[in-house]
Amino acid sequence: MGRRKKIVQECEKLMDNPEHIRNIAIAAHVDHGKTTLSDNLLAGAGMISDETAGQQLAMDTKEDEQERGITIDAANVSMTHEWEDQNHLINLIDTPGHVDFGGDVTRAMRAVDGALVVVDAVEGAMPQTETVLRQALREGVKPALFINKVDRLINELQEGPQEMQERLFEVISDVNELIRGMTEEKDYDWTVSVEDGTVAFGSALYKWGVSMPSMQETGISFGDIIDMEQNDERQELHERTPLSDVVLDMVAEHFPNPLDAQPRRIPAVWRGDSESEIAKQMREVDDDGDVVFMVTDISMDPHAGEIATGRLFSGTIKKGQELYVSGTAKKNRVQSVGIFMGGEREDLDRGVPAGNIAAVTGLRDAIAGSTVSSVEMTPFESIEHISEPVITKSVEATNMDDLPKLIQTLQQVAKEDPTIRIEINEDTGEHLISGQGELHLEVITQRIQKNQGIPVHTGEPIVVYREAPTQASREVEGVSPNRHNKFYISVEPLSEEIVEEIRLGNIANDMPELERREALQEAGMDKDASQNFEHIFGSNILLDNTKGIQHLNETMELVIEGMEEALNDGPLAAEPVQGALLRLHDAKLHEDTIHRGPAQVIPAAREAVHRALIDSKVKLLEPIQNVRIDVPSDYMGSASGEIQGRRGRVDDMYQEGDLMVIEGIAPVEEMIGFSSDVRSATEGRASWNTENAGFRVMSDSLQTDKIMEIRERKGMKLELSPAIDYI
Amino acid sequence: MLTFIGLGLYDERSITVEGRDALRDADRAFAEFYTSKLIGTTVEDLSAHHGLDIEVRDRAGTEQDPTPILDAAEEEDVVFLTAGDTMISTTHVDLRLRAVERDIETRVIHGVTAQSAASGLTGLQNYRFGKAVTLPFPYAHGGDDVPKSVVDSIEANLERGLHTLVYLDIKAHRDEYMTASTAAEMFADGWEDRLAVVVARAGSPEPLVAADRFSALAEREFGDPLHMLVIPGDLHHVEAEALETLGGCPSELLDPL
Ligand SMILES: Nc1nc2c(ncn2[C@@H]2O[C@H](COP(=O)(O)OP(=O)(O)O)[C@@H](O)[C@H]2O)c(=O)[nH]1
Ligand SMILES: [Mg+2]
Repeated sequence: MGRRKKIVQECEKLMDNPEHIRNIAIAAHVDHGKTTLSDNLLAGAGMISDETAGQQLAMDTKEDEQERGITIDAANVSMTHEWEDQNHLINLIDTPGHVDFGGDVTRAMRAVDGALVVVDAVEGAMPQTETVLRQALREGVKPALFINKVDRLINELQEGPQEMQERLFEVISDVNELIRGMTEEKDYDWTVSVEDGTVAFGSALYKWGVSMPSMQETGISFGDIIDMEQNDERQELHERTPLSDVVLDMVAEHFPNPLDAQPRRIPAVWRGDSESEIAKQMREVDDDGDVVFMVTDISMDPHAGEIATGRLFSGTIKKGQELYVSGTAKKNRVQSVGIFMGGEREDLDRGVPAGNIAAVTGLRDAIAGSTVSSVEMTPFESIEHISEPVITKSVEATNMDDLPKLIQTLQQVAKEDPTIRIEINEDTGEHLISGQGELHLEVITQRIQKNQGIPVHTGEPIVVYREAPTQASREVEGVSPNRHNKFYISVEPLSEEIVEEIRLGNIANDMPELERREALQEAGMDKDASQNFEHIFGSNILLDNTKGIQHLNETMELVIEGMEEALNDGPLAAEPVQGALLRLHDAKLHEDTIHRGPAQVIPAAREAVHRALIDSKVKLLEPIQNVRIDVPSDYMGSASGEIQGRRGRVDDMYQEGDLMVIEGIAPVEEMIGFSSDVRSATEGRASWNTENAGFRVMSDSLQTDKIMEIRERKGMKLELSPAIDYI
Repeated sequence: MLTFIGLGLYDERSITVEGRDALRDADRAFAEFYTSKLIGTTVEDLSAHHGLDIEVRDRAGTEQDPTPILDAAEEEDVVFLTAGDTMISTTHVDLRLRAVERDIETRVIHGVTAQSAASGLTGLQNYRFGKAVTLPFPYAHGGDDVPKSVVDSIEANLERGLHTLVYLDIKAHRDEYMTASTAAEMFADGWEDRLAVVVARAGSPEPLVAADRFSALAEREFGDPLHMLVIPGDLHHVEAEALETLGGCPSELLDPL
């Protein structure tokens, strides 16, 4: 029997025993060493050869990832590890570190119970360390810390034991400060410590690692490590204290198993009735229960078709089952079920039981984020609330013949990555694809070209703008084309607290009414208003302030449709509206359904919303990014100039180690092309990081020009409604 | 001058003589057929028959942009045509009000409307009808069933012993007409044993009246459009007799016991 086959059999044996399962993710700032660490773990488990670990990058399965040396999609793998004489099944998800791929990280966190946070010992905690920690903690996922690249402290920075320990403790205390800040309201302490064994150190590149328990066991001290590193005895160091054992021991000992994790995590990510049978089955990880499967990733396999990967919270998922897919009316039939072994799937006819990560084919209607279940149920909370697209590119097939295939591929792309938005335009053939950043879109279009072999033209990247009210409007009227229906609506800015809660998914359409009311009040909405809640769209809320209007119930859906149209295409430049609180004050309706149908109500509601927005002095917002540049002090001037020259603002400059850190913000639009500019301005000596930081009202002097530029690009009239006289 | 003329129910000959004369004397004729339509003729035949070019306006051209109609009516004799009667189920009172606002003289020449045909063909008495309703195509109101307001209105009529005329949705621009079988099928979900009357092709040479349970009507075909339905309330004995004789109603449905 091959080695691989043996591992599969071993995994199968362990799958039925939730106590021995650990579902984990590795998460880190870009380049801190996630992929290299993953390879160590795979090699430790015998899945790739020891020699290639560190070079093979087995988890970077897509060609473009290996070329770029960054991890783009979360990939999945299962392995086994013995700890205290008991074998354990470790299901591992590698997550991307680049901010452009934030959506993948959030989804990966949904599937796991523990997050191994990797931090580069030299760079320390970085902005994305904070982001991934926040994503983990919000999902109820327990962190542990691995401080990587310790070899660099020894060899490059020539630090002695004392200095080294000080630096490592500083990293730990920075990370703990973040954890503490994010778990203030929780009744558990998830800070990490060396004494508890929730911190390990090492070098993923040279494959050695230590932790407090491992040092006690092996007797290897910091002094020994420094000696061996310096005397070129790395291989021996690796053999005596292999990184994979140290880290996997930590995983087995300190990460919760599904039985322990699910009772805590289910209430954090699911709003269904906690008294129901299905809630009980999920808490108990009941493999005889109803099937509840949360899809965290969709990938394409040339042979098997679409593969849905996700976490099975209850039941046993098997070939042939007919399962409900949330958000669609249909049931899908499971064609195969398996687990991942380093990029390859192993089908298991016996099915996969609760508590595991499974790879399922046949779920044609599922998208990343779907809840798939054997009974109809409240779906899991949506997980895409962190990343809104900020940049758009047009994509056109070079050959007319590829048109249908391109549309199909674009739809597939959107299914695989919900942070991508697609707009298909069959008339012009010029489709729009929106995502998290320049790199995000570049990678996607490359995939279309390479993997699908469709040659495409792409347009220049275009920034996505927003429109938002700046003050409270009066009550404004919208009239239907037949003039038999009227709607009275006002708009005012929604408070930032509420917008934030919507973004976090804590206030949503699909939650119990009472809970939502409480959440609204907690975020500062007054009681009466919260009772009139009707609908959320984007980060906008509609309140229904009317009382007892006949037939309004039936018409409300159409009012909402009109409102959504109005908010999708704001009155200034047809950009999405955000942060608006709309109130429906009154409605006059025709007696007969036909005269208050879609053709009448939708335009009336749309008109009312647009007029109210104009009365609220709606303005154009642009996306901004936090920018951090690490650069030798000689280049500080040129580097900060790169921020200031981009309508940006430098907020802070300070020394860290031998580098200067520059922190600031700049508009996304101006950041296009930043990479190559900053590289040449600093002769390649800078490293930098950007992070989307929401939208900001553009200065008055830029409003008109930008609005007209967008309108012209969209082929809209180049004159604004005369009511817009405040810009 | 703006004259509203109802063209009646079926073809170019359903108009009243008064309407025909006014139409022939007019300088310009506008029409809208998005709410209903004469099944027995075409706009071309209608124009040819009356010797006048008829300009068809779509919904936007009638409701949102009626200016060309009103401008013309300010200068000359303009007629505005619809199927049925211009002021009944298709309410064009708004257009008339806009004309009056502009000091344009207006008048109405009535046409035969579906409402009187429903009463006339079934023998159900005009005095005993309650509020009328329209049953929309499910996709048009976003649900997949009979809207609650429609059910509410019918139930309110029934409570008072009144009949309900149910207009069936028309998407004239797509040549889509809800059939009585489809409507009966929608109502049969919950009201399978309730008595209803189908009226098909009112105003044509071959109208049809059929009275039966919703479940039975759902199984039958009633031929070419347009169709409508009546849901009877309490029946006067003459009404019952008319349903049996004119609509082939099974007598057990009429038995007062
Ligand atoms: N010196 C040193 N370099 C490392 C270590 N771990 C990773 N690297 C290097 O850091 C770079 C980024 O590593 P990678 O695993 O791709 O990081 P990821 O972006 O977090 O997946 C690569 O060039 C690795 O060879 C380490 O322990 N020591
Ligand atoms: Mg990587």
